[in-house]
Amino acid sequence: MANFLMKRFLQAVFVLLAVTLIVAFAIRLTGDPALMLTQGAGSVTEADLMLIREALGINKPFFVQYFEFLKGLFSFDFGRSFMGGTPVADLISKSLPATLMLAASVMIISIAISIPLGIKAAVSKGKWADQTIRILSLIGLSFPNFWLGLMLVLVFSIWLQWLPPSGMDGFTSFLMPAFTMAIILTATNVRLVRSSMLETLQSQYIMVARAKGLSENKVLYKHALRNCAIPLITYFGLQFGGLLGGIVIIERVFNWPGLGTLAFDAVSGRDYPVLQAVITILSMLIVSVNLLVDIAYGLIDPRIRTE
Amino acid sequence: MNSKRTLGGALKALAITSSLTAASLSFASTLTVSSPQDPGSWDPIDTFLVNWASVATNIYDGLTYRGPDLKLQPGLATSWEQLDDSKRIRFTLRQDVKFHDGEDFNAAAVKFTFDRLMGNEGKKGPQRSNYSAIDSVEVIDDYTVDFHLKAADPVLLTKLAGYGAMIVPPKYIQEKGEDFFNTHPVGTGPFKFSSYEPKVGIKLEAYADHWGGAPKLTNLNYRFISEPSTAVAELQSGRVDLVIPPTIPIGMITTIEKNPNLEVITTISPTVYALRFNTKNGITKDEKVRKALIYGVDRQAIIDSILGGQAAQIASFQSAISFGDDPSMAPLPYDPNKAMQLLKQAGIKPGTKIQIDIRGNNATFNEVSQAVASYLQIIGLNATIKPYETNVLLNDIIPAGKTGEMFQQSWGGWTLDYDNTAYFMYHTGEKWNPYDSDPALDKQLESQRSITDRAKRLEILQSIANYTANRALEMPLYSLNAIFGVSKRVKNFTPVPDSRLRLTDVTVE
Repeated sequence: MANFLMKRFLQAVFVLLAVTLIVAFAIRLTGDPALMLTQGAGSVTEADLMLIREALGINKPFFVQYFEFLKGLFSFDFGRSFMGGTPVADLISKSLPATLMLAASVMIISIAISIPLGIKAAVSKGKWADQTIRILSLIGLSFPNFWLGLMLVLVFSIWLQWLPPSGMDGFTSFLMPAFTMAIILTATNVRLVRSSMLETLQSQYIMVARAKGLSENKVLYKHALRNCAIPLITYFGLQFGGLLGGIVIIERVFNWPGLGTLAFDAVSGRDYPVLQAVITILSMLIVSVNLLVDIAYGLIDPRIRTE
Repeated sequence: MNSKRTLGGALKALAITSSLTAASLSFASTLTVSSPQDPGSWDPIDTFLVNWASVATNIYDGLTYRGPDLKLQPGLATSWEQLDDSKRIRFTLRQDVKFHDGEDFNAAAVKFTFDRLMGNEGKKGPQRSNYSAIDSVEVIDDYTVDFHLKAADPVLLTKLAGYGAMIVPPKYIQEKGEDFFNTHPVGTGPFKFSSYEPKVGIKLEAYADHWGGAPKLTNLNYRFISEPSTAVAELQSGRVDLVIPPTIPIGMITTIEKNPNLEVITTISPTVYALRFNTKNGITKDEKVRKALIYGVDRQAIIDSILGGQAAQIASFQSAISFGDDPSMAPLPYDPNKAMQLLKQAGIKPGTKIQIDIRGNNATFNEVSQAVASYLQIIGLNATIKPYETNVLLNDIIPAGKTGEMFQQSWGGWTLDYDNTAYFMYHTGEKWNPYDSDPALDKQLESQRSITDRAKRLEILQSIANYTANRALEMPLYSLNAIFGVSKRVKNFTPVPDSRLRLTDVTVE
């Protein structure tokens, strides 16, 4: 296990180095932040721009800037935002929890809905319940999420006035952004649960379980579900990464004060330190979730543990 | 028995206190404003963003003040006089003014503010270049200061009413540090800072001791909402009372107007739109062609149909409230026949290609440019639209002279002075003028910069406007209104053209 963890840790470090290097390089292609800061000004001389670049620290060679970033990374010091000079770590420490809480709610809602529905569809394969669930999931898949978000706002905030249209302000403010994302994820997840369940239900050990006279629920949830958990967990893990990426749009629609909003503003403001930090944090999250997924395999399936 | 009485008394007392609280609550009034952008820092020298000003105008005062009527009035200076051929301005300062932290406002604070702006701290930010006429500030006595200027600057007094010239508290900044000041601003304005959450919002509360009188609101909450549909949804659900520009696109005006609790209030703004020409290369090098293109586009029809009437035609690249606008100038009329005639004279063959570069993120201007392209199609040109990411167009394409024959420029300075447009658009070598060089025009542009006689300056600025229109340096399109979405609970709201909203008289029902 220690060997395995060490190997995975080194892999993670390599992935992070590659990601940060690419991001640091790519964001510098978007243009000069000094020009951006003085966009509203009329005559700005090259000398003025040089002073601003010096203050921002972007007049140094690329690799010097990159190594300063790496050095800061160890002490969680990501430098200062180009827009206003707030320490990036402060910005991250406020927006990271917001994004994580939203992402976690999305995953919980989606898994809680898709597992029972997927199993129901698998069990009643070809019958009306299966057909309905499959059609519903097709509809769910066909929604663009920002549109769905706006529609929910229209219905629940403007017509019914039940929920706040935007912002993070208590439990009710989680409902719409979380469901918007969850509906789309659930649509895929139901199909995944259904197909892996179908496969599992045909195996001999299920026949044995049924022959033993176990109750149908026990057969489904204890024996079948546990056996099809490996592909599901892998998929949910990967999905979590994709979810963090997709959350940018939803955060914008719902004005959610998370990493997505931070990244969006950073891209449009050529705010190198903020964008670098957000992407680094996101890739750290994705790498660690994948690691957790691998560890979870062993817990769920003893066969993998012994291997 | 006894305990009952006590309980009854306690309940009564409770009822009285709660009714008192309810009464005091009804006096407390909060206005919630949706602003599209968090400037990240509230320090006056750090930014150019109009949405900094829409908040900070309530926190800070300048030596001069300019309100919604756009007339320059005394601010922290009660009077001023121009000395030494306008190379020195003496300000008499308002007495008994205190910063929100209790610190005295005096000549030392003024000197500190401008030393900071022109010194090392100011060098890191974008505001300094705007005040480069200031050489030094000299303290004469506690309530008198002299501004020594490198050269006379006719717009300086206006510039002292906003942005980088806001007076800041010396002791507070020296004690708490620059970083703390960025996120905990202190000024002398009618509202004082209460709390700030990056990317979420900033809260202010009334400063009852303001020299201009206490504001009528007790609290002012700004929420940063960049997505227009989200801001409008917040307005519709009653959680936001006011949506300030630039947020609401033309297309959403009817949505707001349909709601009985809301209204749209608009006012003329300094923001003007033009399609400027590449006067150096391609077919637009020829003045005849440029004029033909202007004749060929029905700008009024675009205003009426696409812009819902929320814009006005312009004859030069400035709006009607700009100092330098010549009301006697008329835009070239829509005349497709004349356009085709001019094109023929210039030897332009039908089907000739022409490229229009635009900012891709503005849905309204996208429609406008499509309309322009179809008008150009009618006069026989083959127009293509090339959308860019806004920052790329502004920072990398226009200044480098890499545009097509025509390119979008939207402009509008808060000083409302044509110099701020004309000099940057037409003077040789300026960032926003990658193509044209006209010594006669340069001379005029330079000459008005040192004249403080308003009438004389106006004459020169108007002659520049006529001159550039005659040379057809751009296709002037329109000046766009500033659009506010307002809840009907909000009373006494006066829209401002320049986003510098001071909300002292506003009340909320």
